[in-house]
Amino acid sequence: MKQELLEQFEGYDEIRREIEISRKFGDDFSLEKGQVAEYVNRLHPSLINLRVGKIIEETASTKTLRLMAVNGYLPPFQAGQYISLSVEVDMVRTGRAYSISSSPSQTGYYDITVRRVDNGRVSNFLLDKVKVGDFLQSSGPQGTFHYHPILHQKEIVCLAGGSGITPFMSMIREITDRGLPRTVHLFYGSRTLDDMIFHQELSQLSEQFSSINYIPVIEGPDCEYKGKTGYITAEVIQETLGSLAGKSFFICGPQAMYKFCLPELDKLGINRRKIKQEMFGPPINIWEYQGWPSEIKAEDRFTVRVNGSKSFETNAGEPLLAALEDNGLVVPSLCRSGECSQCRIKLVAGRVFQPEGTPVRKSDRKYGYIHSCVSYPLDNLEILL
Amino acid sequence: MTDYDVIVIGAGNAGLTSAAYLTQKGVKVLVLERHNVPGGSATSFCRGRFEFEVSLHQICGIGTEKAPGPLRNLFERIGVLDKLEFLEMNDLYNFLYLPEKRSITLPPDIGEIAALLQGLFPKEKEAIKAYLELVTKVAYGVISVQYLQDPDASKDKYPEYFKYALKNTQEVLDRFFKDPILKSVLGAYWGYLGVPPDRLGFSDLALMFRAYCDFKPQHFKGGSQALSNAIADAILENGGSIRYNCGAEKIIMKNGAVQGVMTQTGDEITSRFVISNSSKISTYYELMDPEDVPEPIKAELRQTTVAMSSFVLYLGFNAEPRDVGFIESTNFMVGSIDNEMAYKRMKALDINENDFAAISCYDLIDPQFSPPATCQAMALALKYADPWLKVPPAQYADTKYQCAESFLNVLDNFFPNIRNHIEEIEIATPLTFMRYLGTPGGTFYGFDNFIKDSEMFLPNDSKVPGLYNAGCWVGMPGYQPTLESGVRTAKSIVKELNA
Repeated sequence: MKQELLEQFEGYDEIRREIEISRKFGDDFSLEKGQVAEYVNRLHPSLINLRVGKIIEETASTKTLRLMAVNGYLPPFQAGQYISLSVEVDMVRTGRAYSISSSPSQTGYYDITVRRVDNGRVSNFLLDKVKVGDFLQSSGPQGTFHYHPILHQKEIVCLAGGSGITPFMSMIREITDRGLPRTVHLFYGSRTLDDMIFHQELSQLSEQFSSINYIPVIEGPDCEYKGKTGYITAEVIQETLGSLAGKSFFICGPQAMYKFCLPELDKLGINRRKIKQEMFGPPINIWEYQGWPSEIKAEDRFTVRVNGSKSFETNAGEPLLAALEDNGLVVPSLCRSGECSQCRIKLVAGRVFQPEGTPVRKSDRKYGYIHSCVSYPLDNLEILL
Repeated sequence: MTDYDVIVIGAGNAGLTSAAYLTQKGVKVLVLERHNVPGGSATSFCRGRFEFEVSLHQICGIGTEKAPGPLRNLFERIGVLDKLEFLEMNDLYNFLYLPEKRSITLPPDIGEIAALLQGLFPKEKEAIKAYLELVTKVAYGVISVQYLQDPDASKDKYPEYFKYALKNTQEVLDRFFKDPILKSVLGAYWGYLGVPPDRLGFSDLALMFRAYCDFKPQHFKGGSQALSNAIADAILENGGSIRYNCGAEKIIMKNGAVQGVMTQTGDEITSRFVISNSSKISTYYELMDPEDVPEPIKAELRQTTVAMSSFVLYLGFNAEPRDVGFIESTNFMVGSIDNEMAYKRMKALDINENDFAAISCYDLIDPQFSPPATCQAMALALKYADPWLKVPPAQYADTKYQCAESFLNVLDNFFPNIRNHIEEIEIATPLTFMRYLGTPGGTFYGFDNFIKDSEMFLPNDSKVPGLYNAGCWVGMPGYQPTLESGVRTAKSIVKELNA
């Protein structure tokens, strides 16, 4: 506005004076350079440089990697959260989410506990190749699979299967370390006793703390085993807990476990919306999912064209994100289970299968954005990264 | 030859509209965005079966098909009008006065507001009429003199505007009214501008109040992310490029003029023009070398202070709005009519009954906003970041939960069923906004909206050849102003390109 107009406003002189004073005594923002990033990185660094401090053999197929920060600082996390490790295996850069199994009260390291998976590219790399002293990179702690005092009761029921024990281990360690006023009933399902991770520590904690109630459920025990056998059924839960009122439910394990346990919880009248579920990677055997077009076979080949230039071929049964990585294209990812939307990309042409219920924003759907970690090609595709 | 004509840093409202406008004119544009989605604050996130609206309470300036507002025209010009569906709100806002548990709902019409308030405050009947007339005159003064730049503007032609524009809102309210609640009802939109009435220029409040009445408060089908996605889509359709997960590291300068941008991954991309939709502070002090920052800009920056952020609860309920207690879509809960107290509360970490809070429930305007038989609400308390920056990281999560608890306690006063129906909850603090927006103080309003720092006194001039700023750091905060800011900036570049 022109000066002569400004001067006609009532109160103009006062404001001019105010401006002069504030210019004289105001903050010099140039001194705050880098501060925003510093504050954010204390809680949510996008990248942590880690070094393997120790490797602990848990079972024949499972190891814990103890990870320390190269710069000495690890951001706090909530028990149950995960980090996404970024690794290069066989010349392919990829990522995997691992729940932290150590307690948040332990600020010197994050433990991740890795179990061998058939053809598990990353798990086998971590188990066979990584040595003490090696460097790794991860995201900051992520995820919403944790106790929330507003949503959850102080008494929680956890159903774990296989390596799905890891987030619960962190929760239980925190409760016992810090003496938190919370109770955990942990049902841990396993094929055999030898396969159980943390069995000894859990048995001890359960004996030592009345707040920890550990119920191993073993599918095929040898004759000496005295505990619960079979699967985590409605009956097992009911007879252990008695009343289910005033309890919150958490579940984490392989996909077969959800298929079995969720209907069991239905039988007990537990509202599914109130069950906190952790997702563990993309669906297995996607072609068996409801809605998968019967004319498409898992091994059908399709061409994916990226940003209008580079193309490659991939299988219908392979998640798009993994196929992109195999072809040297890095898409930032975190949960790799469809939840976090980090690997969102635009589908310009063609069709993909995304399991029903994948939380994609409504307007993202409208404009063709997909979560590539759980999207499977049903057609030749054109995508935009 | 440069790689692009224009590089836009940041896909917030202004970054997006500037890019859409430019690409429509055939200008070669690249948008750089740190995040993996467009929109900045105009975004959403999913939790469980809910998609939560992050920031938009009500958008102003769209108007109706018959009486279009400036934004409708803007949307048409940048090619997104057909992509959007508008949701009109029935009320301006519901004023909830906590100490007396009193509620007053203003309709979005100046005449109806007058009639309603005159009925409630009969002793001040004349004053209400006179005040609302003044609001209209000052608002039209802003539009004619500031926006349309009437060449014949003068104190004599627009006497009320020149008399009241620079006064603080409280002073004007005090001059007209006696009842403190009446003053508080009429000043409640201060929440959208970020400073209490005794610190807020009357021209800002008058313009906003009148404009919301004229154009009706609205929302978007699909929320603000639907707006951001529509504009991003238009940019791509027009041949523009957007790189997500790609922040700017540096504005490349040569002989005092812009040469391009270096990305965080080290790519150097050349262009003659750069539009920064980043904060003004980071544009000059993070993206440029100190010797390239012009002295007048350093002086301008010293004059300003960073605006507040917020503590927000995103709540998903397993019940219909009415069962939770929501009757109006937009609610302002006022705990104290004392401005000093309100300001003090903005600088405090915790939340208590003296805080100013805005609670929006969008399912009342669009039953499909959330899944069937559910609804969502955003409850927001205005908070500066400072006390949050002092919370030790290890105590951050617990502090967040404690504040959420106390916020729910306050909300209980008007929405007693609120706790019983919560299915999902996400809590955002000033640090959350800092994380996702990258702004100093986690603000989404730019600088404190004091009169001295308004565009009247700090015109949007980057003082660096080739550099343009757009968004709330160089104008008013909020959706309409920032969307318009982008187009204004784009127009100046088009002019420059054609010269």
